[in-house]
Amino acid sequence: MFRLSKKGLEFVQSEMKRYETKRSAIIPALYCAQNENDGWISQDVIAHLSEVMELPASQIHEVFEFYTMFNKRPVGKNHVQVCCNISCAMNGGRELADHILKEFSVNENEVTSDGKLSVSRVECLGSCGTAPMMQVNDDYYENLTPERAVEILKDL
Amino acid sequence: MEVKLLSEHYHHDDFREISGYQKRGGYEALKMALKKKPQEIIDEVKNSGLRGRGGAGFPTGIKWGFLPKNGEPRYLLCNADEGEPGTFKDRVILERAPHQLIEGMIISAFAIGSHKSYIYIRGEYVKSRKILEKAIKEAYAQGFLGENILGSGFKHDLDVYSGAGAYICGEETALISSLEGKKGQPTLKPPFPAIEGYLQKPTIINNVESLASVTLISRIGSQAYRKYGTEKSPGTKLFSVSGNVCKPGTYEVPLGYPLMDLINVECGGLRTGRSLKAVIPGGSSAPVLTAEEAQKAFLTYESMAELKTMLGSGAVIVIDDSNCMVDLLHVLTHFYHHESCGQCTPCREGTGWLNKLCGTLMSGQGRLQDIELMDQVARNMMGRTICALSDAAAGPVISFVSKFRSEFEFFVREGRSKIKGGPHAQMHH
Amino acid sequence: MLKCTINGKQYAVPEGASIIEAFKLAGESLAHYCWHPALSVAGVCRMCMVSIEGNPRLQIACNTMVTEGMVISNQSHAVKDSVKWVLDFHLINHPLDCPICDQAGECGLQDQYMMFGKYTPEMAMPKQRKRKVVSLGDRVVLDSERCILCSRCVRFTEEITKTHELGIFHRGDRSEIGTFNDRPLNNNYSLNTVDICPVGALTSKKFRFRQRVWFLKEKKSICPGCCTGCNIKVSYNSKGVFRVKPDCNPDVNGYWMCDEGRDLCEKTQSVDRLLKGMSKYGEEKWQEGPALKFAKQACDDLSALPSSSVALVLTAQHTCEEFEALIQSFKSKFKSKKVYYWVNRPEDFHKFDGLLLRGDRNPNTVGLLQILEREGFKSTWSELLSDLSSGATQGVIVAAPEFPSFYPDFSEKLYELSRAKVLTCLTSRPIKDRELLPGQRWLIPLKSFLEKEGTFINYRGVQQKLGTPLELVPDAMTLSDFARILSGDWLERQVEPLGSQNVINEFMKTPMRGL
Repeated sequence: MFRLSKKGLEFVQSEMKRYETKRSAIIPALYCAQNENDGWISQDVIAHLSEVMELPASQIHEVFEFYTMFNKRPVGKNHVQVCCNISCAMNGGRELADHILKEFSVNENEVTSDGKLSVSRVECLGSCGTAPMMQVNDDYYENLTPERAVEILKDL
Repeated sequence: MEVKLLSEHYHHDDFREISGYQKRGGYEALKMALKKKPQEIIDEVKNSGLRGRGGAGFPTGIKWGFLPKNGEPRYLLCNADEGEPGTFKDRVILERAPHQLIEGMIISAFAIGSHKSYIYIRGEYVKSRKILEKAIKEAYAQGFLGENILGSGFKHDLDVYSGAGAYICGEETALISSLEGKKGQPTLKPPFPAIEGYLQKPTIINNVESLASVTLISRIGSQAYRKYGTEKSPGTKLFSVSGNVCKPGTYEVPLGYPLMDLINVECGGLRTGRSLKAVIPGGSSAPVLTAEEAQKAFLTYESMAELKTMLGSGAVIVIDDSNCMVDLLHVLTHFYHHESCGQCTPCREGTGWLNKLCGTLMSGQGRLQDIELMDQVARNMMGRTICALSDAAAGPVISFVSKFRSEFEFFVREGRSKIKGGPHAQMHH
Repeated sequence: MLKCTINGKQYAVPEGASIIEAFKLAGESLAHYCWHPALSVAGVCRMCMVSIEGNPRLQIACNTMVTEGMVISNQSHAVKDSVKWVLDFHLINHPLDCPICDQAGECGLQDQYMMFGKYTPEMAMPKQRKRKVVSLGDRVVLDSERCILCSRCVRFTEEITKTHELGIFHRGDRSEIGTFNDRPLNNNYSLNTVDICPVGALTSKKFRFRQRVWFLKEKKSICPGCCTGCNIKVSYNSKGVFRVKPDCNPDVNGYWMCDEGRDLCEKTQSVDRLLKGMSKYGEEKWQEGPALKFAKQACDDLSALPSSSVALVLTAQHTCEEFEALIQSFKSKFKSKKVYYWVNRPEDFHKFDGLLLRGDRNPNTVGLLQILEREGFKSTWSELLSDLSSGATQGVIVAAPEFPSFYPDFSEKLYELSRAKVLTCLTSRPIKDRELLPGQRWLIPLKSFLEKEGTFINYRGVQQKLGTPLELVPDAMTLSDFARILSGDWLERQVEPLGSQNVINEFMKTPMRGL
């Protein structure tokens, strides 16, 4: 059973007071819980947040399912998101994704056997002028070549 | 020629800090504004002719005028959910000039009488958010935010709220839903946000660049601002240029500047040996221009409208002759299918249908009538939904299919791209 | 009032009316799925497009208010084309499994595609697959592929019950309704979601696969489950009663009714009923016989007692007409003022669930109390008990509640009453042997609320008529029938023909499938 850490719980409680409505704290709470749950959100997490926040689980679940940044399944320690939208696609973003997947012998949206890496193709990340690019956890890496990207990922 | 009004100091790394910002005249405009009557600021913005820089191009001052005149509490929301593929100019402002945005927000809030504002920033912009939060802290510390700002008696609080990955949250009512802690789904209009927005209170939502421009206009005045641009598209604007140009990036040029000059002069043109095939002038949802049309295009709302496309967010995507248009359209149909919120039937079902049709073409299984059907489906998604995502999804389909039809037909006949080195079978998504 | 023109005809509609409401008032048809008069406007199905003179764009009728002089049409080519296309969008991923769908015959989607002749979907590619046969609690089943995401059910649990079980999860054409982690949708109003589902996405576990709707007839009635008196529509045929739905009455129940109320119709089935007259004396075994014959003999037994020693005990689960007839007949026969009543658990009596269900589980408390007051009957229960002990009361007629399950003290009370020498219990339920002390005992079968005419007066004084009666237990009678027998005028005046539809009640004999 997932439970927020003491710090996490305090954060969620403060977010519930931070905005005009308690419900606005759902997104920050999901972020917080995701961080504490190895980067993804299970049904347990939602059930727990529903209790802690005293909000219907369906409301939290709706939010969770709607937004792509909440991971629906386990991710690697380094979760790599490669933009494959138009400007990146024109500059080799899709090939970049293929290359990383091949290099680390992992399927899209799955985690490498050592648990270190998972890769997803994603939509525009607002980095079109520096295409192709990838986001690893919170950080952007831009103007990549397949080789450079692999190098970066191996160094993490 | 680039004219750096807004982005004059963006190259200074310390411009993002309050000291560096103030050193270059930062927060002087706020000091002046707080001495004025709110209506004077609204009039100034109205006179400047500033048009919303998020994509719709609606005049900012007029938008403010829709607020009810009584003293009911009202909110100012900054739309920093920059998600339109091809667009990255707001990120530049957020990361290089957060105080310019904050100053613009305080001035705007003072003008419309709002005591609480939020910057709704897309979740992926973690770095931008951190910079912004630091800047807000600095502004509070200097007394630009909080109670009794600079002794004026005006009180204003500003906070940041992160989205979590949904293109649709850039739509203003969806942004409100998201900020309220719900799914980011657009709501019916009427009621319009200016009457019933965030928490059913009057709400103004402005784009990052629009609000940063308020700082500029307050500083130099509407007359000086209007020296640039055209009658209908005054001022300068940031353009995000991406795709197949030598020097992609964000450029500030006066509105009215020729599109091809932006591509060839500022962006250094195309790579050697390549020729221009098409330009998407205003973000992925703007109908595509052929190379020939691009020659005639000026960077104004009206020139783009004449060419039946949009200036949009100012995201110029330059496409050279190495690209397969079927392939690129499939990237876009995939995107809109992925991003449709799913409320309205034509959009929910239509985006999926279009993506399937385009995918069928890409797989070599398409029929000639599928090309016609794509056009029909797209046309029938337009004007029938709560928000503009459905129209945005339809626009590229209609324009790609009609302007580059031979490439689509080739794919059906030959089972491969007309473009040398282009895709054979489905390789993306 | 606002003047407007709808499809070429002039109408006046109230200020603030939306176009869709104006169409309803005018009796003009307008396809729509997501709009529901008792729910907020969602504006998502996009079917209710109309053209408005002077407006270049089609508008949705549900979110557009009528203005003075508005000229509206849904007959223009543009509107019809729009409806056809929006219908196409609805259908491309719909399974079109009408032959095995319970909604067939009363499905908004089916009606429209029949009208447009869209028997094959326009999309040639594989459809979006979604979850099927998802159990949503005790009563409701979900088929997500049939769902058109109109959000009525979600709005119902948000706005009406405020229980928030349902949501729409994911986005785009992957959106599906459901509950978090498939938690059960077990609020007491869950079946209303089935009623308002415009397609066959939410179906009732009990009704599923049991009848095609075109083989069902409908009868209006009043729910006897509590003093609210929800208006209901009962679907039945010669095989029995199959389902109950609320019938809209803005003054009483709006569009809804509770699930418990729906269950009561099941309890009219013959397996739960007293089918014949019963009698026994002392320790003898029960004897079964025709109700009429036994009722006459029971009356004779009572008449043999000193007339002032007979008491009448009433419960508030019968019609005003029955109370009236029985009291008048009792008064003239026995010259006795010994008329008593009892209600269900007094501690629950004033409870209210905030929506419809009230603690007074009698449909006609107000009706009964009005008559008792008018007649000046003020006898108390303790008087009755002491009279029974002292022998001052030797005969008792009890009009037992139709639903004794609402009377936790039913057995106990009946046992107390059976201290009488002669007890005649008018009841629709069998009575267990151990519930009675030895003596002369008569059980006379009563009709259920579906089998009789008459009036219930609800908690706030609304008089409501039970509709045309069905016949479920042929031998059963009403309190009025018994009153006539008691007066001895049964032979002179035959019971009026009830217009019964001769239904053999086999409700629930077929076992439930699946789930």
